[in-house]
Amino acid sequence: MDQEYLARPDASRPEAEPLILSWSQPMGLASLAFTNAFLRLVTLGIYNFWAKTEVRKRIWSAVRLNGEPLTYTGTGKELFLGFLIIFAAILVPIMLLSAGVIFYFGPESAAANIFNVLIYIFIFLLTGIAIYRAQRYRLSRTSWRGIRGGLVGSDRAYAWAYSWSALLIPFTWGWIVPWRTTMLQTLMMQDTRFGDRPFRFKAKPGPLYSSFAVFWVGTAIIALFAIGGLTGMASFAKQPIQVTEGSTTQTLKIIALMYGVTAIAFLFYYVLSAWYRAKQINHFSNHTYFEGAKLKSTVTGAGLVKVAVGNFLLTMLGWAIGVGLLILITGMTSNVLTGETESIAARLSIFAGILVLIAFSGLFSPFVQARNARYLIENLSIEGEVPLAGISQGADQGIKRGEGLAQAF
Amino acid sequence: LFEGRFTDGKTASSEDVNVRLTSRGVEIHRSASIEPLIWPYGALHVAEPLNSHSIDALLTYDFMTGATLFVPEGTFARRLAIEAPHLTAKAQRWRHAMPWIWAACAVLLISSLVWLADLQPSRAIARMLPDSAREILGKKTVESMSEGRRTCSTSAGLAALDELVARLSAASGSDRSFKVIVIDWPLLNAFAAPGEQIVLTHGIISKAESADEIAGVLAHEMGHGIEMHPESGLVRAIGMMAAIDLLLGGSGGTLANFGALLAQLSYTRDAERVADKHAVRTLREAKISSKGFARFFKRMQEAENELPIGKAITEINILRTHPLTEERRRAVEREPDYPSTPALSAERWKALKDICKPPPAPPAEPPKDT
Repeated sequence: MDQEYLARPDASRPEAEPLILSWSQPMGLASLAFTNAFLRLVTLGIYNFWAKTEVRKRIWSAVRLNGEPLTYTGTGKELFLGFLIIFAAILVPIMLLSAGVIFYFGPESAAANIFNVLIYIFIFLLTGIAIYRAQRYRLSRTSWRGIRGGLVGSDRAYAWAYSWSALLIPFTWGWIVPWRTTMLQTLMMQDTRFGDRPFRFKAKPGPLYSSFAVFWVGTAIIALFAIGGLTGMASFAKQPIQVTEGSTTQTLKIIALMYGVTAIAFLFYYVLSAWYRAKQINHFSNHTYFEGAKLKSTVTGAGLVKVAVGNFLLTMLGWAIGVGLLILITGMTSNVLTGETESIAARLSIFAGILVLIAFSGLFSPFVQARNARYLIENLSIEGEVPLAGISQGADQGIKRGEGLAQAF
Repeated sequence: LFEGRFTDGKTASSEDVNVRLTSRGVEIHRSASIEPLIWPYGALHVAEPLNSHSIDALLTYDFMTGATLFVPEGTFARRLAIEAPHLTAKAQRWRHAMPWIWAACAVLLISSLVWLADLQPSRAIARMLPDSAREILGKKTVESMSEGRRTCSTSAGLAALDELVARLSAASGSDRSFKVIVIDWPLLNAFAAPGEQIVLTHGIISKAESADEIAGVLAHEMGHGIEMHPESGLVRAIGMMAAIDLLLGGSGGTLANFGALLAQLSYTRDAERVADKHAVRTLREAKISSKGFARFFKRMQEAENELPIGKAITEINILRTHPLTEERRRAVEREPDYPSTPALSAERWKALKDICKPPPAPPAEPPKDT
């Protein structure tokens, strides 16, 4: 079946070329990370949209196809306006309505509960739209040799498929997931364009099911062990707690142990899910075709875990720096840390501290994004040849703003 | 002379070109037979802003849509940065950040002006709320604070409470009528809710040694009510949350959690001081000794010191809403003596202490007006 989409000599078509994908490590990400944090700080956080854009420009440029970089042509202004419109058109009305309902019917009333459920359904239905539109925005702002990408289908069709299939997940005990992700990927890839040429996606969910079975059974075993361990410990902790030093330490120990069990269970689950995710990425890539070429991916679960561990440590380090600065700033003025929060100096320092925390959270996200992209690109290749001179610019879809919905959720 | 790749933006093919940086702009030599293209620096854009780490540059030009020029040489990027400084990362960042830095300065300036001029916008908005809205808000606050606990209502206890509230209201110098309820809750707490509603916990009554202490607490909470502190606190909290939501890119959804917000009202030291002043004046007008109020502060301090770590977490509320007890106690103690009578007769005080006595006959009775 693969052969059908691979290159065939055709005299009438322009000469086909092989495509070589590579990664050119972006330099100076650390100074970019700190500069962005500083500018977020002095603009009360608003610069974030431009910060994000510059990081994307760097990372897109690091992806090389035949030695020439991908280009990100989006702007911070587009992201900002996209967010602003969603904020005004969706978030603020939801907040006001919700406040109004609670105000008139009470926080625990049936009306408030029904309203909450409706809001969740509304957000749930919008999630598919948000995913599709975010992808459409990013593709339309990605180009290579001046030729844009695009996503030309209907966001509503995608959102509908996304929603009804999500509802079936609990009823099928999760077993719909491989079928569902394949279906959603098919919808997305069918609509994906480079210039005026479509991608084709011919994956079947069948081959994923053996891996999924291992993942599912493994998850069930982990969950059983974790629940068993936790209930055992909880029954210990249930004994009446007296406020004597001995019993407090005892209880604290049990609580620490419970957190430990949860963390270990999560770790096992994470490794297992990374293994499955690797299978899925490879399966999907290996059935993605463009003109005469086919993608080939060789990511592994171990590789994904390695990237994730490094990213986790980087993220923690970023938070540690943010929290450290917060403590430094609030600690410098009076004794905020001991509860004195009323003096002018204390209030100012709390305000500055929170601002610093907002500005420095996600400090190392440029590295995190680069590491993710690098791993995927270095394990991805393109087989076959593509007649590049035959690919023309696709129609401009006239997308003016970016990703508001996806950011809001 | 640099080597580069040029695409015309019509198809995805590219060609080798020679590139030269001249005073007129970037000169692109496609082949010997065609005139070189000249892209003036002012109309150029780079895919990735130029910086000291640049190893190449990808250029586009305003007047040739889709056309790109890629020059994979670090020296080209550095030379270009000199000729066209607006393409550097530094220049672009400042260009994008500058308006927002000014905006941030303006926001900070306006906030500090509002604060210095003591405008208290939250209070002005709170004053605009109609009475019916304040009453609903108060009910919700009481509901969410009492967490479904029983309202105490022996008839003798309510009569005693009525008497005390009436005596204090008459002396408060305000025409508001306060509704006070007692909740069966061992926690030591008292709070004012919007719409002149006041909640006392049974804990605070049972720990008190005299009705004068409770009179002081009530007078203090009435002071909050008269100053509309609960209402303005709410307005301020909503405003802050909306601002934080905006800052964090709307990821908070905090406003949806309105119920929790109602339960988290806390006052500033200034607000407490104002309420204390009201309390002292009301007590004097009502001819109730302020010694009881001072004793109440002492009791709070003792309670604060005695709290074991585990309990401090559940009772942290009173620590947070009533900071600097020592300072406030001294201020009340400084009040000169005046002739006074006990806030309640011994018999009535006992009735108030017993207000939660009989266990509730289910269903629990609704809160009663006093």
